[in-house]
Amino acid sequence: MNVEILAAADYSLVTVEGRVDTTNANEFEKSMLSVVDGGATKIVLDCAGLNYISSSGLRVFLIVQKKMIAIKGKFALCCLQPEIKEIFDISGFSSIFSIYADKEAAIKG
Amino acid sequence: MNIVFNFFPVLLFLAFLFLLDSFQLVRVKTLIMCLLWGAVCAVFAYFLNTLVAEKWAVEFSTLSRYVAPVIEEMMKALFIFFLISKKKIGFMIDAAIYGFAVGAGFSLTENIYILFNSPPEYNLLTWIIRGFGTAIMHGGCTSFFAVLFVGGINRSGNRLFAAFPGLLLAILFHSGFNHFPLNPVLQTLLIVALLPVAFVLVFRLSNKKLQQWLEIEFNSEVKILNMIRKGDFGSTKAGEYLKSLKEQFKPETIVDMYCYIGLYLELSIIVKRNLMLKENDFEIIVEDDVQPKLNELVQLRKQIGKVGELALSPLIRMDYRNLWKLNQLQG
Repeated sequence: MNVEILAAADYSLVTVEGRVDTTNANEFEKSMLSVVDGGATKIVLDCAGLNYISSSGLRVFLIVQKKMIAIKGKFALCCLQPEIKEIFDISGFSSIFSIYADKEAAIKG
Repeated sequence: MNIVFNFFPVLLFLAFLFLLDSFQLVRVKTLIMCLLWGAVCAVFAYFLNTLVAEKWAVEFSTLSRYVAPVIEEMMKALFIFFLISKKKIGFMIDAAIYGFAVGAGFSLTENIYILFNSPPEYNLLTWIIRGFGTAIMHGGCTSFFAVLFVGGINRSGNRLFAAFPGLLLAILFHSGFNHFPLNPVLQTLLIVALLPVAFVLVFRLSNKKLQQWLEIEFNSEVKILNMIRKGDFGSTKAGEYLKSLKEQFKPETIVDMYCYIGLYLELSIIVKRNLMLKENDFEIIVEDDVQPKLNELVQLRKQIGKVGELALSPLIRMDYRNLWKLNQLQG
């Protein structure tokens, strides 16, 4: 798993690549929470390079979503690969998160 | 002050356990029923203990050390047995909390009786020992019975066999406590110091198991369901296995099995998603069609029959936890 964080003026862009599973979910959580704790009010998570996510990874998404709701911020996911999007659709998590087809829409949204 | 030491320690301890339930497995309605059952047990146990003492001229020390622990622990255990029979308890966390609630209901009722009938020599220290020691011991005994019972049933499936070790341990612990092998104050201090630690350890272990369970099954279930929806199930190993059953079962049973697998996976994923949502304090998503789907699953299970279910066990095993899981969707 590789996580890159880019802080722009009005949003933070996090790019995640590879697999997010039990072995690295804690590391992923730390990275995501560092962005939240850094004061970001809008986080865009670019998932174009994310090719596997387990329930541990989904739990991190939920933790971030909860924190962003608490500060009235926004957490947007974008560029999900079809297999990853299917996980969200089948499990019903699509209705919990804001999911965008591309980065530009997520930043604007 | 007596009332404070009578009621608050056990209720605070119950609240502490309730707050540790991060997945919100415990239902308040069931928790209240546990407290009420404990209260009913205390009343019946009082009459039963009195009856035994009078009929067989049993001395108080013998009664409290050997007879009462058996009667009381067995009575308290009955409700946990009922809840497990109804698949209302899934993990050690909810088992511990429901068990403690039964014991709390018991000790609160017992303490109310003693409060109004206490001998003049009862002082503040006695109430502290009763409130922190005896009351929490009652909760702890039923709680550990429930934890061992749910652990056993997830392993063996046989209820009586699974219940026995926990019940024996609860009786032994209760009897040991009533022997007062240590100074009562020291005994109470030990309970207050050790029991929370034991509960925290049990809860941590249970949380870890729950997360592992979510982790292992969730992804494979999503993957297989996805294949079913795309019509690619036949190309998977599970699909090949289902095809191999064609010779042993009628074609319509194979169709039912196919539908059963799909429906089961769909419902299972919903339960797990809801657990993950609850863990993070999100409102759970309620799909309108869950109940009809559950009904359909029950119907399909009947149509497949025991032999069919056995044949499907390499793919789906309706063990205790899976039945508990589906039970979460009811009401």
